[in-house]
This record gives sequence, C-alpha cells and structure tokens, in this order.
Amino acid sequence: MAAALEIKNLAVVYQGVIQALSSLSLRVPAGSIVALLGANGAGKTTTLKAISGFLPLQDGRITHGTITIGGEDTSALAPHMIVRRGIFHVREGRHVFGEMTVEENLIAATFAQRKSRPRKVAFDEVYGYFPILSQRRGQQAGYLSGGEQQMLAIGRALVADPEMILLDEPSLGLAPLIVRDIFQIVEQINRDKKVSILLVEQNAVIALKYASYGYVIENGRTVLEGSAAELSANEDIQKFYLGVD
Amino acid sequence: MNPMVMFAEYSAVGIAAGGIYALIALGTVVIFKSSQTFNFAMGEMMMLSAYFFYTAAVTFALGPFFGMIAALIGSIAVALIIERFALRPMMGRPFIAIVMVTFGIGSIIRGIVGMIWGPNSLDIPAILARSPVMIGGLFIPGKTARAFAIAVVIVGALIAFLRYSRAGIALRAAAADQITAYSMGIDVRGVIAFTWVIAAITGCISGVLMANVNSLTPSLGLVALNVLSVIILGGMNSIGGVLIAGFIIGWLESVTGWLIGTEFREITPYVLALLILLIRPTGLFGTAEIERI
Repeated sequence: MAAALEIKNLAVVYQGVIQALSSLSLRVPAGSIVALLGANGAGKTTTLKAISGFLPLQDGRITHGTITIGGEDTSALAPHMIVRRGIFHVREGRHVFGEMTVEENLIAATFAQRKSRPRKVAFDEVYGYFPILSQRRGQQAGYLSGGEQQMLAIGRALVADPEMILLDEPSLGLAPLIVRDIFQIVEQINRDKKVSILLVEQNAVIALKYASYGYVIENGRTVLEGSAAELSANEDIQKFYLGVD
Repeated sequence: MNPMVMFAEYSAVGIAAGGIYALIALGTVVIFKSSQTFNFAMGEMMMLSAYFFYTAAVTFALGPFFGMIAALIGSIAVALIIERFALRPMMGRPFIAIVMVTFGIGSIIRGIVGMIWGPNSLDIPAILARSPVMIGGLFIPGKTARAFAIAVVIVGALIAFLRYSRAGIALRAAAADQITAYSMGIDVRGVIAFTWVIAAITGCISGVLMANVNSLTPSLGLVALNVLSVIILGGMNSIGGVLIAGFIIGWLESVTGWLIGTEFREITPYVLALLILLIRPTGLFGTAEIERI
C-alpha cells in the first residue's frame, strides 16, 4: 500500500549536542494503525515532534534523514502548515485548553482543517463518537476527567478531519476500562474514516492489540519491526515490553 | 460643598480617567499573554499615534475623522514593523533581553518624535466636546467623560471579540499553550503579530484621547508608566484584572489628589504597585507562573 508517511534514517539533535534520534526509519501505510514502541527516552515522542514540525520550537533540529508525507518532504515546514497537510498530532498529556470550554477547544481545531466544513457537521461527528463531550460542551475543559480530556484531544483531531493522527500515549494515567473504551473508539475512527494512526504507547500489550504493524526503537534507532503478531511472539518483546517471563 | 458629594465627584472623575488606563493596559496584556513579551514601548507607541493623528488631521488638513483613520493605519504599520524586525528575531531569548529591546524601541521613538515634531506642545483638533456631563447631580469634565465612554466601548468590543470570535479563540489558544496551538493549525506567529495590531489600535485611540484631555507633547507616553502599576495590580496575564485595576488606579489617583494633595497624586500608583508586589506579587487576579520584572 502507498505510504502516507515515510521516515528514512532520521537523526535529531537537541540544543546542538543532545542526540535524541540517530537513525530512525519507519513507514505508515495509508489507513493503517502502526505502533511505535520503546522505553522511556528511546525517542518515541521526539519522532512524533519531528513529523509535526515541533522540534524548532524546543531547540531541536533534524540533522540527517527525510520525512515525507504523501511524497512531499515536509521537514522544513512550519508546524501549522504540516497540520494543514493532514497530519494531526494528539500530544502526550492531552493538552486541552483548560480555560476554554469543550466547544471552544473544538473551534480551535477548525484551524487545522484542510477543507473547511460546517461546524455543526464536524462537531456532531465528534459528539457521535464521544457522547459525553456533548453533555460537557459548555464546560471548561480543565474540569473534565482525564478520560474525557483524552476524548476531547482526539475529538479535536476529528474536527480537523486529517489523513493521519499521531497519537502520543493516549493511555497515560487513565483507568484500564477507560483506556479500552478509548482504543475501541480510535479503532472505529480508523475503520470508518480510513485515517491512519501512528501510535506511541508505553503499554505495549494494548498497542499491539490494536496496531497491525509495529516498530521498536532503542536509543534513537529502529531496532526491530514486524507485524503486530510477529512482535507479540518475539521473545525479546515479550520479556522487555509485554512483561511475559 | 458636602464632602460626600465631593467624594463622589472625585471618584467619578478618577474612574473616568481609569478607562484610558484600562485601554492602554489591555493592549499591553494581550501582547504579554500571547508572547510573554512586556512591551515597554507602549507609551511611545501611543504618543507616536497621537503625532500621526496631528500630522494627518492638521498638517495635511484631513480633519479629525480621516486623521484618525490615517493614525490607525500608521500605528498598525509601526507595530507590525516592530514585531517583525525587532521582536520576532528575539523569540526564545531571555525575558529581560526582550524587555530591553522594547525599552530601546521606546527611546528610539521618543528621539525620532522629538527630532520631527519638536519638544513643544502642539494643538490638536478637539475631538471631544468640552461641555461638562452631569450624572445624577455629579459634575464630570466633558473631555474626561467622553474619553471614558469611548474607552469603555473599545474595551467592550475587544473583549467581546476575544471571547466570541474564532480569531479570539486562536489568540487565547496561543496564549494558553503555543505548541498545542500550533498543533491545532493555528499560526502562532501570525497571532502574535495580530496582538501587536490590537495594541496599536488601543494605543492609537488612547493616545489621541490623552492628547485631547491633556496636551500633545513627546512626554505623552509617560502615562504608560502608570499603566505599569495597573498591570502589576491586576496581574500581568489577566485581562479582566487589568480592566478593574485601571479603574481602581484612576479612582485612587483622583481621590488621593483631593484628600492628601495633588502632589501625592503622581506617586499613588507606584506606592500601590509596591504594596501589591510585597503582599501579592501575582497581582489581584493573575496566576502564579509569571516571571516578575
């Protein structure tokens, strides 16, 4: 299948000296869910930041390699331009605008739309996947529960109607039942809307359950890749990421 | 005269003067909220706008209406140039370095204005009627009352705009969290440039109003230093806070001038600012994570 996103031999340096990625390669085929696994500090989040153009905002820089989105090299684009090419980054820690209402959060995401569509259509779609947000629409987002904030963060991606969602640690700090609900909805969004998802997750069990393909990164380089089934059966993966003895 | 009536009258005059403080402070706070830049050149931007108004309305004889439009256009152009060429290259630099840049820009503007228009006071066309306004038996000087009405309308319109428009939501999003705002497709640099446009508009209107109420001299912008105390009182990142603080300071100046003597009027805002810094450094309505200057 055509690759919606392809990264080749990416190297990233922070503050001119800290090597966060040294040689990372991955591809996300259109319409798929791909998981990016690895320990804390392996470079998962840096990879997502490189894709969405956030590195210059945090004194980081791509020193080597390419990132192409639908065939176009995007590594020099400003972040808001990358979003408008259809790559929506749902950041780790949700980052809802706490002092704005749920609905204002969704309005903010309309800036990410490639084609504008009526607000009502976009918001009804969000409320269709996450009915609880409809009840909370006038409330300040800062007062939502963690799970609801994660739903809002994903809801903003839906408003943008992207080709690909970069989903960073959606399970962080959430109860297992809520995590399951959220992953089921993400899978449903992937199926309904043919939106591809690059998933970064500490929780390898759940990541490999929903992803079709995965990459394992260590110290800023890709060390292993394979289908979710292959990775789940791999002894090292079982030992280090799945907690199987 | 009955002291209670006197008190009420001085209070009304002070609150009316506070309207302009609120307008100036609003321009400063929107820039601060979006880019953590404290614009010390705000007073000079005001003053320059008033000179633009003078030049367009008097020198080129365009009259007050087109003079105001020309002044707005000129002020916005200057603000965008300052943002683009002086502040954007400073992005990510230490707070104090950026503050010093705005300070320097203020000095440059004051110098240029002195060279072009000279140090003496100029007569600008009166856009505010002089006839006093009576409210429930209280006597308020006409210019002050009308300047207050204009300031309140502009402040109200700006707040409604920030609250309800899509651009206002983009501005609040960028102010709350730049990286997340970028991830929403919001052009954060564009938003910051836009806050300079807002500051130019509030500065231009307040500058022309001040020049009408007082007079037009290169030191017109010094009033913005009083606004610094407004901002300290209100909390640097709170729009609602600085509006209320603007009225409090205006009121306090007027009432101290009456009760203790006009020579104390000038220092009142600074004494209050000092007390606030000692007692509640984040201001009445500000939140904690602000780096104080």
